[in-house]
Amino acid sequence: MSTPPTSTGYMLLFKGTLWDRELSPEELQQVMTRWMNWLDRLTQEGKVRSAHPLANQGKIITWKKGAPTDGPFAESKEAIGGYFLLQVSGEEEALEIAKECPALKYGVAVEVRPIVDQCASMERAYMEHAIGSSE
Amino acid sequence: MSAEITSSPFILLFRGTDWDRGLSAEEIQQTMSRWSDWFDRLTSEGKAKLGQPLTNDGKIVSGKKGFAVVDGPFTESKEAVAGYILLRVADLDAATELAKECPGLDFGMSVEIRPISEELGRGPD
Repeated sequence: MSTPPTSTGYMLLFKGTLWDRELSPEELQQVMTRWMNWLDRLTQEGKVRSAHPLANQGKIITWKKGAPTDGPFAESKEAIGGYFLLQVSGEEEALEIAKECPALKYGVAVEVRPIVDQCASMERAYMEHAIGSSE
Repeated sequence: MSAEITSSPFILLFRGTDWDRGLSAEEIQQTMSRWSDWFDRLTSEGKAKLGQPLTNDGKIVSGKKGFAVVDGPFTESKEAVAGYILLRVADLDAATELAKECPGLDFGMSVEIRPISEELGRGPD
């Protein structure tokens, strides 16, 4: 198995669900207008596959005592407030787009992650298998 | 807009990039094969719209005053997002029950289920 040299699918995860608490309604409206204009432009340029805000509700499922258990999702500086799925030329362009995020200056961080067809764990399994069989 | 007015969109975020540590290549393959079967079933049932793994590479852009770009520590982390599935199901309870089937759960992964605000956004269909 070989991995492609560069990924062209990227997921931007917008981190922080409390950034808007200190803003006035006018400021918030301005940021949201800039955000929608930004998304409209990227969509027109054919770079957006999917993009949505997430509601500040939900569940977290973890494994406890031999069974999946669900608990409430909690808002925080780290919690994900929305995402863009992008089709771009590579990491450089994905990072340039991330830097345009209108909420950056209010403390939102943008996680820029390459998308792959095969998960990292599976790659590792193949690698180990390949290394194991070549010995 | 979808014709299915009785269903709502959700995203499942799979958290934990170190779940496979200590597992043999065979165990990983078994788990991944269960994972593929699960995703294929959800897709054929019309519930999964899109889903992909993320690599453990990537960067974080932040900065109130100018940009800071740092390499993300996405490996060996229980919190890091390892992949996602976009779902369309009846409600949060249905999404939660479905997420409990995730094959990574019993290896220490967690699944975050979040309703999507559909009116503001784009795609995937």
